[in-house]
Amino acid sequence: MSTMTMSRSNLWEVTSRTIVYAAIGAALYGVLSLFSFLLPGTTNVSIRPAFSLVAFFGYAFGPIVGLFVGFVGNSIGDQLNGYGFLTYWNWSLANGFVGFVAGLAPLYLASMMDGPISRRALGGAIAGVVGSVIGFLFVFSDIWVGGSSFDSLLTTGYVPVVIADVITVAILVPILVYAWEPVKEQLGR
Amino acid sequence: MNIAPRYLGRGSWLARRDPRVLVLVVVLFIIAAIQVWDGRIMAALLLLALLYYRTAGIRFADVRRNWIAALTLLTIVVVVNTILTGNRLEGVVVHPFFTLPIIGTVVSAESLTYAASQWMRYVAMVAVGFPVAFCVAPADFGVTFARLGIPEKFAVGVDLTFRFLPSLSVDYQQTIDAQRIRGHDPTAKRGGPIARLRGIAPLLTPLTVNAIAGAEDTIDAMDLRAFGTGRRTWLRHLALDRTDWLILLGFAALALTLTIAGFTTSISSIWTPPFLIDLAGR
Repeated sequence: MSTMTMSRSNLWEVTSRTIVYAAIGAALYGVLSLFSFLLPGTTNVSIRPAFSLVAFFGYAFGPIVGLFVGFVGNSIGDQLNGYGFLTYWNWSLANGFVGFVAGLAPLYLASMMDGPISRRALGGAIAGVVGSVIGFLFVFSDIWVGGSSFDSLLTTGYVPVVIADVITVAILVPILVYAWEPVKEQLGR
Repeated sequence: MNIAPRYLGRGSWLARRDPRVLVLVVVLFIIAAIQVWDGRIMAALLLLALLYYRTAGIRFADVRRNWIAALTLLTIVVVVNTILTGNRLEGVVVHPFFTLPIIGTVVSAESLTYAASQWMRYVAMVAVGFPVAFCVAPADFGVTFARLGIPEKFAVGVDLTFRFLPSLSVDYQQTIDAQRIRGHDPTAKRGGPIARLRGIAPLLTPLTVNAIAGAEDTIDAMDLRAFGTGRRTWLRHLALDRTDWLILLGFAALALTLTIAGFTTSISSIWTPPFLIDLAGR
């Protein structure tokens, strides 16, 4: 599977490369999820640099990898923090959907994925933002799971998380794309 | 730095169960709990969850921080939810205590009961979820998901993820040390959020790129062993014993009973204790 120039047909291919990249992304997300900080002036908006990996792995290696990195990586992060692998399963799944939507970038950002590296980096940021806005809609499943109201989920869940994660992916995903592209060519990917 | 899941329940009654039981119990319990708003039933479910948690044999001193973090988070969620939605309990006659200034939310006997039920629901889910974190051997997650019917490639991915954790955590610490030697501390707590995010790039970037580039050996090893060409076998053999079946049947019966009761009785409605109604009436 090649990266960032993948065709629509191999978006859904699951090979050893898919599995290993997904596992590495999820493990990295888990390890780095121990590092976060509060957005100044807020009480519950936490910036998680590791989240940029979800969008990056989705964008670079496809929707299957993105889904896995988001879902399993967030679950592993919860596991390492001692909350349990599945306790907040719907939030983990929402993270997975972010990676999935970012991984669908060849379907909606095709023109940006074949251009110069600056366009591909910008494409990564856009895919991450689109993924965050759409993927985190799944946290509204807490209306049924936890009995929360739409208003409280919107104000204390969806909006803060999307703001924090949009800032994160907009800054870090392009940096990761810039770093990965030359290495990818060296490796012949 | 040692980043690894803590197997705190090792040797406990729950840790001796087939790990599939722990995962399925979470699923079945969530199905059961989301049917219930009657505080009396929810209190019984919370008690059941705490009893189940107790069989995990986890010392409280080892998980104090986890409990404090979880209880703080869910209490904030419940309080905010109550403040924002205290006025919107549909189809319920409310007995108000007072109205919050500025927001105008009416705090009533019913909204407090709703909040208490919601809080108990969350605590119960956490109590049932914690054993998955502490009573399943990390090496068993892959085979557990595979035997639960999850696609084998996904299960191998989960297994690989746990195996990558120790080496990546070493790389993580080495990269931080290397950057500090160069005069940059990626974890320094100074500057605004954008500066701090940019400051972590010298940690995130080499760690990620090296990990991906270094994955070639693993990919080659899997390809050489014909990964994905046939049915995979697992070194660890899982088997449900009679106790496992009894636990699963018990929680399945609970989920089924409460689902039926949710449609046929009032357990999905709020039950307000009479003393709270009396208190509101004074």
